[in-house]
Amino acid sequence: MSNNWNYIIRRILYLIPVLLGVCFLVFILFNVTAGDPVLMLLGKHGSPEQAAALREQLGLNQSWFMQYVDVVKSAFTFDFGRSWSTKQEISSMIAHGAIPSLTLSLPAFFLSTVTSILFALLVAFYRGKGIDLFIRVTCIAMMSISSLVYILVFQYLLAYKWGLFEISGYEFGFPNFIYYVLLPIIIWVILSLGPDIRFYRTLILDEIYQDYVRTARAKGLTEKKILFKHVLRNAMIPIVTYTVVQLPFLLLGALLLESFFSIPGLGGMTINALNSSDFPVLKAITILSAIAYIVFTLIQDIIYTIVDPRVKLQ
Amino acid sequence: MLEQTAAENMEAKLNDEINTIGKSRSLWADAWHRLVQDKIAVSCLIIVGLYALVALLSGLGLIAADWSQEVGPSYAPPFENWDYILGTDLFGRSVLTKVIHGTQVAMSVGLVSSLIAIPIGVALGALAGYFGGWVDEVIVWFYTTVSSIPGIMLLMSIAFILGKGITTVYIALGLTSWVGLCRLIRGEVMKHKNREYVQAASAIGAGHPRKLIKHIIPNVTHIVIIFTSLQFQVAIKSEVILSYLGIGVSGQPSWGTMIDDAKLELAREVWWQLAGATVAMFVVVLAFNILGDALRDALDPKLKGKS
Amino acid sequence: MSDLLNIKNLSVDFNTPHGVVRAVNNVSFDVPMGKTIGLVGESGSGKSVTSLAVMGLIPNPPGEISEGQILFEGKDLVTMPEAQMRKIRGNDIAMIFQEPMTSLNPVFKVGSQIAEVLMLHMGMNPKQAWEKSVDLLNQVGIPNPKASAHKYPHEMSGGQKQRVMIAMAIACEPKLLICDEPTTALDVTIQKQVIDLMFDLQDKYNMGMLFITHDLGVIADIADDVVVMYRSNLVEKNTTKKIFTHASHPYTKGLIACRPALDKNPTRLLTVSDFMDENEKELIVPPERMKKVDKVYKFNEEENPILLEVKDLHVHFPLKGGILGRTVDHFKAVNGVSFKLRKGMTLGLVGESGCGKTTLGRAILRLIEPTAGEVIYNGANITNLDKKQMRAMRSKMQIIFQDPYSSLNPRMTIKDILLEPMDLHNIGANKKEKIEKAKWLMEKVGLNADQLSRYPHEFSGGQRQRICIARALAVSPDFIICDESVSALDVSVQAQVLNLLLDLQEEFGLTYIFISHDLSVVNFISDEVAVMNKGEFVELDKANEVYLRPKQQYTQNLLSAIPKGIPKELLAEQNS
Repeated sequence: MSNNWNYIIRRILYLIPVLLGVCFLVFILFNVTAGDPVLMLLGKHGSPEQAAALREQLGLNQSWFMQYVDVVKSAFTFDFGRSWSTKQEISSMIAHGAIPSLTLSLPAFFLSTVTSILFALLVAFYRGKGIDLFIRVTCIAMMSISSLVYILVFQYLLAYKWGLFEISGYEFGFPNFIYYVLLPIIIWVILSLGPDIRFYRTLILDEIYQDYVRTARAKGLTEKKILFKHVLRNAMIPIVTYTVVQLPFLLLGALLLESFFSIPGLGGMTINALNSSDFPVLKAITILSAIAYIVFTLIQDIIYTIVDPRVKLQ
Repeated sequence: MLEQTAAENMEAKLNDEINTIGKSRSLWADAWHRLVQDKIAVSCLIIVGLYALVALLSGLGLIAADWSQEVGPSYAPPFENWDYILGTDLFGRSVLTKVIHGTQVAMSVGLVSSLIAIPIGVALGALAGYFGGWVDEVIVWFYTTVSSIPGIMLLMSIAFILGKGITTVYIALGLTSWVGLCRLIRGEVMKHKNREYVQAASAIGAGHPRKLIKHIIPNVTHIVIIFTSLQFQVAIKSEVILSYLGIGVSGQPSWGTMIDDAKLELAREVWWQLAGATVAMFVVVLAFNILGDALRDALDPKLKGKS
Repeated sequence: MSDLLNIKNLSVDFNTPHGVVRAVNNVSFDVPMGKTIGLVGESGSGKSVTSLAVMGLIPNPPGEISEGQILFEGKDLVTMPEAQMRKIRGNDIAMIFQEPMTSLNPVFKVGSQIAEVLMLHMGMNPKQAWEKSVDLLNQVGIPNPKASAHKYPHEMSGGQKQRVMIAMAIACEPKLLICDEPTTALDVTIQKQVIDLMFDLQDKYNMGMLFITHDLGVIADIADDVVVMYRSNLVEKNTTKKIFTHASHPYTKGLIACRPALDKNPTRLLTVSDFMDENEKELIVPPERMKKVDKVYKFNEEENPILLEVKDLHVHFPLKGGILGRTVDHFKAVNGVSFKLRKGMTLGLVGESGCGKTTLGRAILRLIEPTAGEVIYNGANITNLDKKQMRAMRSKMQIIFQDPYSSLNPRMTIKDILLEPMDLHNIGANKKEKIEKAKWLMEKVGLNADQLSRYPHEFSGGQRQRICIARALAVSPDFIICDESVSALDVSVQAQVLNLLLDLQEEFGLTYIFISHDLSVVNFISDEVAVMNKGEFVELDKANEVYLRPKQQYTQNLLSAIPKGIPKELLAEQNS
């Protein structure tokens, strides 16, 4: 057990170089190579004095090193300054945007994961038979259409033409938000079914060819029992760990869905920031999502030790 | 697995018999032989070949060079006139011609982004896997860092910095997709490094470059082939998203810009640009998807029947 | 004596991409109650498929029982509906598999895996089943069964896992127990314990047993009757005694002859093909090897100078731990080994898995860097050589590995494989000369020189091992380490390769270190034998001294665990 704790502490310490690396990448992308934002912000009519003042204000007249230190500082304090376009505190913008994003992404993610696993089990049970082939072919076909097409067509037909759902917009508070996120959730689920079923099916079939399944058959267990008890319990290990690393991306919501349905979440915020060259917001979102990713890979590793009795962390 | 071993033994026996008559075949030839026996895979290969041909002809300016020409009225519906059989867009340009030109964009995006990702991924993955130690730690740190940033953020940042245009799409997609390949190659090289044939090479006095380049790399190339087939379809689909985000191809038609145009067109019941681009894309992405699976089965028979 | 199981004209087909392959062809035999039937054959003989057919576990597709009956207590299992078959499986017929490492479900406690069968077939409730599991674990000799029932499979050793498999198999007191190579993956001392256990249990429950193995030694120890399979066909069935004394089929004769015995030391092994091809000729076991060992032991310095001397060699692997992953301890794989080896001699290196024999072999060649100690080859300390000098040195010392499937680069032709060492050491003036030498090498190792343009996967295991030998010989070495070089091969092929190694030693005056876990093989090929345990030499002496008069307790235990290869009745006759 002490070994496990050592490992976890080591893993947490490892977050530091990765985070510094992320900050460096962000710094290179936005501070070094992106060009002078002052020209963009002031437009053509800014005087040199104005430009100098703005540079001073944004901290752009500092040395490269100090600018990098600023990026690192923001990553540890979560103080990202103010947005260039809305002048709001970025941390409060993010806190505000997280709610609509999560009301869309959490239920969608839950639904799509459960549905995909159920389908994958079904397909694995009937492997090699007609229904397996049918679902696999459908999955590949569904994956071969651009996600943008799904969004466009569903929004147009279901919401615009037939009026079954809200076309766009968002209202805070339960239960009002449901009307707005329903269609995006449906689209999300449909988008993820194809790749997820295929992926989970592979994980389950990997287990079906293991020796212990043969032992279970030799015991006289039914195929159903073998699949749902022996195989699923083993397949859950990669499934759970795969699912956990998906979670941080939920925070960002679905960039495209939020923007299409005018949901004021983090995804939509990102796209607005991109369109208005709002560097501080872009930097904040990049750093935050990287932190979320790193933390969740850590959680993934820890969960791994819980769900898999074999894992002795080294 | 016993039953499999038994079946494989049988196969080996049969192979022996076949081999005593037939000519010798390398593993590549073997894989090719398996692939061409799969009729669906062959059809997909032909489809991909046709798309590549169309892209090449369009690239050489032999077809669809006049995509910017006005051939009819604005938003003419399809199947009404031979000059614009798939209808026209806002400016009266032929949708068919645009789809053909889009093929060139799509295929080149897949090709160039692969050409960028493969050298980076293979070189870093092979070095990390082979040498281990601090080399491995630095490379793993590097790709962990890159993969910590959500792909879409990285894409947008790179595209934003480089400005609009097809070159940006190439580079952005290339620079964001090497990580997966690098991971796979690293893992596979680590596995092969400990195989006895590599130790045997050490025992006859081969040095590191020889062991890595002559012995190990040829044994992991199949991953690159499978990766390329999947990278094409990922790149083609990503191009659409980039177009929607306004950082994609500009100054020429692509499937992405055509689909993006439908944002405004659908409300006016203009569906043919969307349909044209979507169908063209569907066929080739489907072909690449199936081909990717078939290649994996053919090149890595261990995985057969599992996906 | 009534028959428990009758297999009548059983045929099993597999549909492969190359067409239908018959894995079992028209096989008939019976298993009487309380008796053990040994089913012997080499890989691909169809013996495992036969056993899976009895269990109704032939994967369909691609497999299919195309003909025949499997009568269990008079009921035909082939035509029995699956639901009914499931009631028999694990209950009346149980099976133990070869790979204890992977045959248990890794995520369930061993206790609950045993309890599962009891709940399924005996209608026990979870509590009763758990208690019974603990009792069964006790019966199969798992120490501290109460606590062990709560363990996961990975927390147990290979031998213990196989005991758990046995406990699971006997849980419902089956009438028939099928054992598919149950001890092949285990060390020889563990193998003996497991076999003894199975014997006791068979006695206790009066089970019929179908014991499948490639190892005739094991069969002689346990079987009442033997069935021999060869290339999908049953070639011979008889009582164990008759099989060993009066085998009628040439394949059986060959199989028995090609297994090196502990008490004889012939110059060559007879091989199966000797019997199969030269049916009519009278075969004589070649006379005892001229004991060159004794001659050499007179320290004939001129003819047999010391070629290799190892002085106090250590190989330690760091064990990491603590928060920063620092080295906290060392695993001492090789811990102070010293010996001298004279030219033209063979040193056999035996020991159980994990004893450090493979590491020692690689450290001598500096494929693994030794931590301390000296390796003096032909008077020069090679541990001091720099990279370049060491590479040049490699033309003198070679190695042949265990696994013929992974020791040849699958993407290179045999020609490339054989030419590479010549290129590296500038042997042969030009390409033509090199190819000539490659052809010559192919003939030397008994392969067809026309096959140079082929790829490794087009050869069988034995042929591949010959290619490995040819590659080692390509640089004209004086010294070769054979690391378990015949362990992955079928006994009949093993004998051929061993003969080849001896012939080559004779012809080129080679010096060998022969590493193996198989004591009989080592005895056959070696002049001197070193027994290794926990990184150290336990005993080092002339081969027949070690085998006939072992001085250390460890060696004695090891030797007594080897199956004698002589049937019980025969042994009794000899003793009386």
